[in-house]
Amino acid sequence: MSTQAPAPPSPAPGGPAPAGDVPLFYRRGFRRLLQQGLYVAATALLFWYIYDALNLREFGFGFLNDPAAFKVANQWLIDVDGVTSSRIEMYLVGVWASLRVVFVAILLSTVVGIVVGVSRLSSNWLVARMAMLYVEVFRNTPLLVQVVLVYAIFLVGAPIIQEVLNIGDFAFLSNRGLAIPWPVPDAGWWGAPDWFVGVWVALLIAIGAVAMTVRRQRQVRERETGQPHYANRWAFGIFAVGALVTFIVLGLPVSIDRPYVEGTRYLEGMVIRPEFAALTIGLTLYTGAFNAEIVRGSIQALPRGQTEAANAVGLSAYQRMTLVILPQALRQMIPSITNQYLNVNKNSSLAYAVLYDDLFRVAGIIQNKAGHALEMFFVIIVTYMLISLVISALMNFINARVTRVGV
Amino acid sequence: MANMPAAPRERIVLPPHRQRARRPRSVRAREWVRKNLFPSWRGTLLTALAAGVLGAVVVGLIAFVFFGANWEVITHNRWLLFAGGFPREEAWRLWFSIALVFALIGLAYGTWSSLGRRDHLFVLLVGGFVIFLMAHGGAAVWSSIYFLIAVGCMYIGYLLTYRLPRATSSMRTLQVRLVGALLILALPIVLVVLLAGGNVGIRDLDGFVLNLILAPVGIVGGILIGIPLALGRASSLKSIAWTCTAYIEIVRGAPLLGWLFVALFILDDIIGGDLIIRAMVVMAVFTGAYMAEYIRGALQALPRGQYEAGQAVGLSQYQRMRLIIMPQALRISIPPMVGQAISIWKDTTLVTVILPLRELKGNADSAISQFEFTPDRIEAYVFVAVIFWIVAFMMSRVSQRVERAQGVGER
Amino acid sequence: MRLPSLQGRRLVSALLFAGAALVAGAVIGACTSDEDQQQAQAVEQQTQQDQDQPAAQVSGEPRGNTIQLIQDRGTLLCGVKQTQPLFGNRDEDGNVTGFDIEFCKAIAAAVLKDANAVEYVDASDASTRFELLADGQIDILIRTTTITSSRDMELDVDFAQTTFYTGQGFAVRKDSGIDSTSDMANASICVQTGTTTEQNVADHFTDIGLDYEPTGGLSQDVAAAFFEGRCDVLTADASDLASRIVVRDNADDYKILPQIISKEPLAPGVRDYDSDWKDVVNWVVHGLIRAEEIGLTQANVAAMASNPPNTEVARLLGVPFEGGSVSTLGFEVVDAQFIQRAIAAVGNYGEIYDREIGDAIPRDCTLNALARPLPSEAVDCGPGEGGIMYALPYR
Repeated sequence: MSTQAPAPPSPAPGGPAPAGDVPLFYRRGFRRLLQQGLYVAATALLFWYIYDALNLREFGFGFLNDPAAFKVANQWLIDVDGVTSSRIEMYLVGVWASLRVVFVAILLSTVVGIVVGVSRLSSNWLVARMAMLYVEVFRNTPLLVQVVLVYAIFLVGAPIIQEVLNIGDFAFLSNRGLAIPWPVPDAGWWGAPDWFVGVWVALLIAIGAVAMTVRRQRQVRERETGQPHYANRWAFGIFAVGALVTFIVLGLPVSIDRPYVEGTRYLEGMVIRPEFAALTIGLTLYTGAFNAEIVRGSIQALPRGQTEAANAVGLSAYQRMTLVILPQALRQMIPSITNQYLNVNKNSSLAYAVLYDDLFRVAGIIQNKAGHALEMFFVIIVTYMLISLVISALMNFINARVTRVGV
Repeated sequence: MANMPAAPRERIVLPPHRQRARRPRSVRAREWVRKNLFPSWRGTLLTALAAGVLGAVVVGLIAFVFFGANWEVITHNRWLLFAGGFPREEAWRLWFSIALVFALIGLAYGTWSSLGRRDHLFVLLVGGFVIFLMAHGGAAVWSSIYFLIAVGCMYIGYLLTYRLPRATSSMRTLQVRLVGALLILALPIVLVVLLAGGNVGIRDLDGFVLNLILAPVGIVGGILIGIPLALGRASSLKSIAWTCTAYIEIVRGAPLLGWLFVALFILDDIIGGDLIIRAMVVMAVFTGAYMAEYIRGALQALPRGQYEAGQAVGLSQYQRMRLIIMPQALRISIPPMVGQAISIWKDTTLVTVILPLRELKGNADSAISQFEFTPDRIEAYVFVAVIFWIVAFMMSRVSQRVERAQGVGER
Repeated sequence: MRLPSLQGRRLVSALLFAGAALVAGAVIGACTSDEDQQQAQAVEQQTQQDQDQPAAQVSGEPRGNTIQLIQDRGTLLCGVKQTQPLFGNRDEDGNVTGFDIEFCKAIAAAVLKDANAVEYVDASDASTRFELLADGQIDILIRTTTITSSRDMELDVDFAQTTFYTGQGFAVRKDSGIDSTSDMANASICVQTGTTTEQNVADHFTDIGLDYEPTGGLSQDVAAAFFEGRCDVLTADASDLASRIVVRDNADDYKILPQIISKEPLAPGVRDYDSDWKDVVNWVVHGLIRAEEIGLTQANVAAMASNPPNTEVARLLGVPFEGGSVSTLGFEVVDAQFIQRAIAAVGNYGEIYDREIGDAIPRDCTLNALARPLPSEAVDCGPGEGGIMYALPYR
């Protein structure tokens, strides 16, 4: 643009628009208006086209209230009979199934990520190399293939139920899943109703709060006086004694249910099904590899001085890692690791490939029976976004706590 | 080697207290082992533990690969897995494309990097693996020869660019531009070679070939969509920024599987067309949202001074963007973008799950539904995993090269 | 004049965005105007899909001419299974083979005069198959699909003559001690999702008042899980069960219970409201059955055509008899020899059965035998047994 126009005295970017002698077409306000107008018009056209193509007159969610007429497996803590319950109920069963996978996979992949990430920096050559091998293998293969492979290996590798592997009458492993003991409400001494468990859990939370308060006070005093006040031991002691006492006083409201095998079925206890296990293990191995790289990167980003300082104070390798390096690396890694958690959420949809009835699969079944693809997709995307929002909110909370603590 | 007195021709003579005889290699090796594997009893325990795990895995793998597995499910179905329903009489198109891409890889490596001993080893291993697959129990001699020719093309391309024109800077510029243009044009050229004329249609893309086409289309399309999206999101015009943000967040909100679901059930009313095209559109739209975020991150990472400097030199907006901002932003965002490319490469397996397209994993499912191969599921999936690993690993290595080249190169 | 920096960036971004929108529009336009897609587009325009209905459903309007579409395109898009032995699977060369595939070839031979002018589209996933048909991705669905009233009424699908009669059965291990569904209380059952079997088994267990634990997924996945011992029971069409058991080394360890809980007539599906196309498909299938009834085979069809023994054979094969005129059987959309070509391409129904299924699923005395056994192969069937394969008359 070679047009000579008197330049405004100081064209501060984003400042007020020059007025007066500038022709209308060159005024910023006018241009902005023009650009936005054109843009909005184009977008509106596009949306109108899509709206017209989809013909949304019948858009509605009434069909979700109709009876489901299908069953889903992998229920836990709930028992929804697919014949009489509505489609939306079945969908919520799927959401609950997804949430379990996501929760467990996030926890396990974090553990794997930290262990492997630290191992990659180990001074032990073999350990470092093995960690690298793990990362390179699992990061570079498709998650779908990992999941179906884990599932196939489990079905082939684990014994069939007729030859179930009995682990000390305590747990049972077969390719129908792993049955483990599980706490259940119990009548106990006083013939207590089930809600005693709720009371006990509430009391546990209260005791936990007390323990944490004591711990913080002792930490503060330790810092002030320089004398050891054993904050962690105290907190743990209070919690353990409190839990035990309330447990006895309430008359043992919880008992452990041990599983057993009858015919080809597991009874009692809790069964970790192969489909759940395959999906969770697949997600854990895959995400763990990415988490390991994040952990390694954040540790390497710390100044070398931190390690040297820790050495100078005479900390052991374990203390150095847990007290000095990891807490600082944590701040750096939280944003990236949050991203990985969000990926776990989305990748859990691969349940579609391993016979696990998660939200995506149940939505697919409903869509197959009732049509309404657009509505079902709307429901799916809103659900995933809500779960993502919860994960992000939790991570932001953790992030705020981590960054608040002074070094 | 046993006793090494100070070399007579050594010019620099260290003072006696710093003189240290170069110890024999065996001693050094022993020291290295002690330091890296057995530093203390704890370290020794760790090493033993790790060695135990590694040993178990290796023994298990060897037992499976060489004794337990029936690899015939792969060798018998190599064409099904590789190209599936692609017309066999048109196979020259595949080989020609492969040779073309290999030559291009060679050219690019020669231009921006160099092949080290490890790269040759990698080529040897992968090449050996492929040739073994093709030669095992079949009369695929010609395929092996074609493959060797393709590898040959790679080395010729490499030598052409690596050996010859490093003399003058103008030659160098020409070379960079030529190879860069070829890289950009590679995808359309390959598509033309594969599909133009003759007895082939887009529906014939099948098996591993489909993965190999879907991923680049998704990546290139994703970058083309991602750049305007990133600029749009950073715009101060509210309507543009808002819609771009909405696009990015909504697309990133749902899994790819969900978007493929859209391709099948919803896009038929909006764009219609063949499902392969729809799958490509969805791949590009999906990747675009992620690419946009990486580019936006890079735009934000650029110091404001860059914008102002461009202004100060009197460049127009377009020139500023093209000459100053985008080159830097794109360069910064290369590593995460390659990460996304690897991710989309792996995600091409998902098209089989929802859409009626048969890529490698889908054809592996067909292979294990054949009469004699029903028990060989693990073999088939392991093979698929290995194939995907090879390409993804290559991509990650290239990304590392690029990062390193950036560090020492033009900045 | 130089615009202030921010505004410049805005301008560029606006331009770029508009450019991207244009490019996207052009791509979409190019895609839809591409020659290959024009046909799909044509289907869509003709189908006038009314979106008050779910995607795969349609309200009554005259439909496009699928035959014209196929002939213009030069290939038949046939939706088939690609992961089921015997019925539809891929061989090592990437070709699709199986019982259902033979009918695709027969129809292609009839309509296009070339049995190989078929493109096989993967319809292995039961949950999406009808969408492929409604969407115009396939012209015909031949994929072990059961005719049911609700599919016929609700979905955009219309069924032609049944090609295979079966019913839902149960496969168990011989040593499981299960002899009927009443032994299956709380059993773990592998079932394919998106199929009639899923609904049948739920209904059946409601009726007999028992509970069970489902494990659902794609057909090949649930079958594999069953054979690894994941479930006590695999339920599917009896023919499906047989095809999956027969390919295994340890086939003797499994049995299919005699109990059949449903009728599963498997038939080719076409889009609703396209009766010309449906008629052709229908009469090709009938023609193959009729050919078996009167002893026309792939081997003798050429000889019969050049020298027909009677008027009926001449009419069926579309050739003149004793100097008479050629009958088109009333078809205007295909020529008179369409059934002759179908038989020449794949043989009669019995030949197809023997070639693709053979002894894996015995045919004698089942519903799939001819309703009127030929004198030469008369078999003594028990009461309640016997075939119902019965071709309608060609006149």
